[in-house]
Amino acid sequence: MPDVSRRDFLTLLRDGLLAGSGLLALGGLTRFLSYQTEPPPTTEFDLGPAANYPIGSRTRLPDVPAILIHNASGFSALSLVCTHLGCTVEQKVDGSICPCHGSRYDEQGNVLRGPANRPLRALRVEPNAGGHLILHTD
Amino acid sequence: MSALLVAAWNESRKPRPVVLVPTLSGRPEYCLTCHADVPQISAAHPTGTFGCVSCHGGQPLALDADLAHSTMRGGRNPSDFSVVEASCGGANCHSGSAAEGRDHIQRALTSVQTTYAGAIATVRYAFGAQSGPGAQQGIYAIEDPHSATGLTALTAFDPAHDANPSVQTFAANCLNCHLSAQPLPGAQYARFTGCAACHAPTAGTGVQLNAPTLHQLTTAISYAQCNTCHNRGNYSMRDLQFHPRTDAPADRLRDYYQPIAQFTRCEYTLDCVDCHTRTEAMGDGDIHGNKKEIQYIRCKTCHGTPTELPLTKALTDPNDIAFRLALLNPVVDLKIGDTILVTEKGEPLWNIRALPGGAYELFGKASGQRFTFRPVMGSRCTQNPEDQSSASCHQCHSVQR
Repeated sequence: MPDVSRRDFLTLLRDGLLAGSGLLALGGLTRFLSYQTEPPPTTEFDLGPAANYPIGSRTRLPDVPAILIHNASGFSALSLVCTHLGCTVEQKVDGSICPCHGSRYDEQGNVLRGPANRPLRALRVEPNAGGHLILHTD
Repeated sequence: MSALLVAAWNESRKPRPVVLVPTLSGRPEYCLTCHADVPQISAAHPTGTFGCVSCHGGQPLALDADLAHSTMRGGRNPSDFSVVEASCGGANCHSGSAAEGRDHIQRALTSVQTTYAGAIATVRYAFGAQSGPGAQQGIYAIEDPHSATGLTALTAFDPAHDANPSVQTFAANCLNCHLSAQPLPGAQYARFTGCAACHAPTAGTGVQLNAPTLHQLTTAISYAQCNTCHNRGNYSMRDLQFHPRTDAPADRLRDYYQPIAQFTRCEYTLDCVDCHTRTEAMGDGDIHGNKKEIQYIRCKTCHGTPTELPLTKALTDPNDIAFRLALLNPVVDLKIGDTILVTEKGEPLWNIRALPGGAYELFGKASGQRFTFRPVMGSRCTQNPEDQSSASCHQCHSVQR
């Protein structure tokens, strides 16, 4: 084993520490630069082929949350987010009710009972070129 | 190099964030990264809707515990009255209009359970610190120029300004039970302050107040919860000390702290909130000088008199507050067309419903238990209709202790 002088050892140690520091700094920098903020919530939902929703149907879309309505006038959608504080309303036979504070809405989303004082929000729904329905929540 | 290593080690210890985007704020929070085991506080406050920060404050994106908690409101209790407006307030929440019954904070902050105005006035008057028996001071200074009682302001009780040593002793030893006071040590006294003193069930749970699982709000408030302040002992005017009872009261009839008190069955069977109303407990928004001014429920409220039935109200309006109260504590399935009892001030006794045939059914708000009872009218009772104090009714209806 060759003799390593005191000077060579210290030089080697210095270079090693510098290299290590550089790698750690580079790692930190990479992590910092590659940090991804939380993606904004989805505002477009592909509901699949329009043919899946026959006329007269009211389909709950739990992921949105919303209800898709298909009647003689065409497709429409109502948000199921209560306009009082934002809880998800539950569907009943004659409308919907908020489980948090009891607001009630009719089938068209109009307020029947407070504390909510604004109707459920109407959402835009339209077909795309492929015949799929696209629901917009923005 | 060492600093870099420490920084890298610190980074590696940070957990992968668990993101929650509450509907109410729409802004991400990382609180569930560490607090996934905390149960949802109530059905009216779903975690997915409210998140954590809207009530508790704090730094939503911090993964370091100290930093995340650095700006929390009220420590573990955001309902403490020092921070309640920021935590629980808002027009859609608990500082809305009186007309909608949403002025909870305004009412609670001026209630006698908060101001302690009656006790303070009694002691100050007894020891010559004020010239009349009326309330002048409270735990906090409050002002309401529109207070219907005529009492429009209370100054803050500050014993340093009272030269009388008895008043100072009272201040040092007897201010344990108002809603901002820290509870006395012992499981029998365990309660939070502010709204949570009553609405967070701590009594009889055996759970420490700092346990993360103690995360519940309810309107089903049990007798035991009221007992964390009430029925805990007596104030002595002789030595101006609060003398806490040393036993653990188990029998509600025999273990009451006043040996001369009389009770009829409903008084030791029901929970306090089954009869006493929201305004009696939380105040009505006006400033009152003592408990007697605000506490008005009497036997006749539910039972009527020999010449009058109790007051009732048919539920015809779907926006009637009775429905909201029954939704928050669903012990009774109220429907349009039901007839419920109301107090002489018009407060709904939403848990008491008239039955066909003239009887009534009461559902225990905390127990869920169903009781039935009949009105006094038509019974053999010969009580003077004008004489409706509980002492009068107890002459025939008290139970031997």
